[in-house]
Amino acid sequence: MKRLLVPTLLLTLLWSAPDSVAEAKGDDFGAVVKVVEEFYGVKHKGIPFLAKAGIKAATAAAHLAGGSKKRLAEAGSVKLAFFEDQQFSAKGGFSDFRATLKARLAGRWLPFIQVLSLNDEAQTYVFLRDAGPKYTVLVVTIEKHDATVVQVNLAPQTLAMLMQNPNDMGRAIMDDATTDDRE
Amino acid sequence: MRTLFKTVKLASLGLLLGLSVSVTARAQNARIEMGQLDHLGAKASETVDVNIDERLMHLTAKFLSGKDPDEVKIKELVNGLKGIYVKSFEFERDGDYSQADIESIRLQLRSPAWSKILNVSSKKEGSVEVYLMSNAAQVGGLVVVATDLKELTIVNIVGPVDLEKLSQLEGQFGVPELGIERTKPKPKN
Repeated sequence: MKRLLVPTLLLTLLWSAPDSVAEAKGDDFGAVVKVVEEFYGVKHKGIPFLAKAGIKAATAAAHLAGGSKKRLAEAGSVKLAFFEDQQFSAKGGFSDFRATLKARLAGRWLPFIQVLSLNDEAQTYVFLRDAGPKYTVLVVTIEKHDATVVQVNLAPQTLAMLMQNPNDMGRAIMDDATTDDRE
Repeated sequence: MRTLFKTVKLASLGLLLGLSVSVTARAQNARIEMGQLDHLGAKASETVDVNIDERLMHLTAKFLSGKDPDEVKIKELVNGLKGIYVKSFEFERDGDYSQADIESIRLQLRSPAWSKILNVSSKKEGSVEVYLMSNAAQVGGLVVVATDLKELTIVNIVGPVDLEKLSQLEGQFGVPELGIERTKPKPKN
C-alpha cells in the first residue's frame, strides 16, 4: 500500500506544482488573477495546450502597425490566465473593480491605459513596470462572459512602437500571447 | 536664550525657503491634477484614461527608428515632451457630469503661469478651451478641455508643445481627435 501511496503523492504534487509556485512567489500576476476571481466570483482555467505551445515557439504571428509579422513578447516571459464562459456582471459598476485593481498594483505599476465601455460591457487595463533593460506589461481584459490576464516582458523598441496607439495595445499583446504559430 | 532665538530664526528661514522652492516647482510643473474626475467613470458609458509619463516619453523618443520616415516624424513630435495624460468620458444622458467637475480643472489653470488661447475652435460639436503654460520664452505645457453635453475630455501635455504639435499628436499616444484649429479674428465693423 505504501509503495502505491508515495508515487501517487508525488504525482499529485507535480500536477499542482505550477499554481502553487505562482502563489508562493507572491507575484502581482497571481494577485491580479485573484482580484478578478474574488471580485466577480469566478475561477480561472489553465493555459490551453495549443496556446502554451505557441507561446514557447520562436516566432509568432503578431501583426504590427507596419505590417511585419513579429513576436511582441520576449520568449518565455508570458503568463496567462483565462476565464471562459463565466459571468462578469458589472456589480457596482466598473469603478469599484478599477479601484480595487489600481490599489492592488499601486506604487509598483504605472496605470498606463484603461478603456472601459459600459455598452459593450468591456474593460481593458494595461499596467507597466520597469524590468531592467525590458518592460513588464500586465494586461487585464474583461468582457461579458470571458476575461484574460496576461503578463509579458517587452523589449523597449516594441513598447515604443505599441505606445503610439495605446488604445489597441492591450488587444495586440493579448492576441500575441494567445496566438498559436501553427494556426 | 540668544542661541535658541538664532536657531528658531534659522529654522524658520529654512522652512520658508523650502516652502517657496516647493511652490515654485509646482507652479512650473504643467501637469495638472485630474484624479478628482475618476468618480465620473461610474456614470460614463465609455471611459479612456491614458498616462504616459516622462520615462515612457523618453523611451519612445529613444527607441523609434531614425531611418523610417514615419518614425522620424513621431520622434521629432515627442522629442522634449515630458508626459501625455488623457481622461475622456462619454455619457448616455445630458448632465451626467457637472460644471463643478470642469471647474476643478479650470481652477488649476487660473494661475498666472497659464493663459487661455482665445482664437481656437474645434471641428467637433461642443466647446473647446486650450490653455498654455509658458514661463520666460519656453512653453511648459498645454491643457485642452473639450466638452459636449454628453462628453468630457481633458488632455494634458507636459513639455514644449504648441497647437501645431497638438494637431499632429491627435489620434496618437492616446490623444483623441479634437479637430482643433486656429480661427481668424472677426473683422471689426
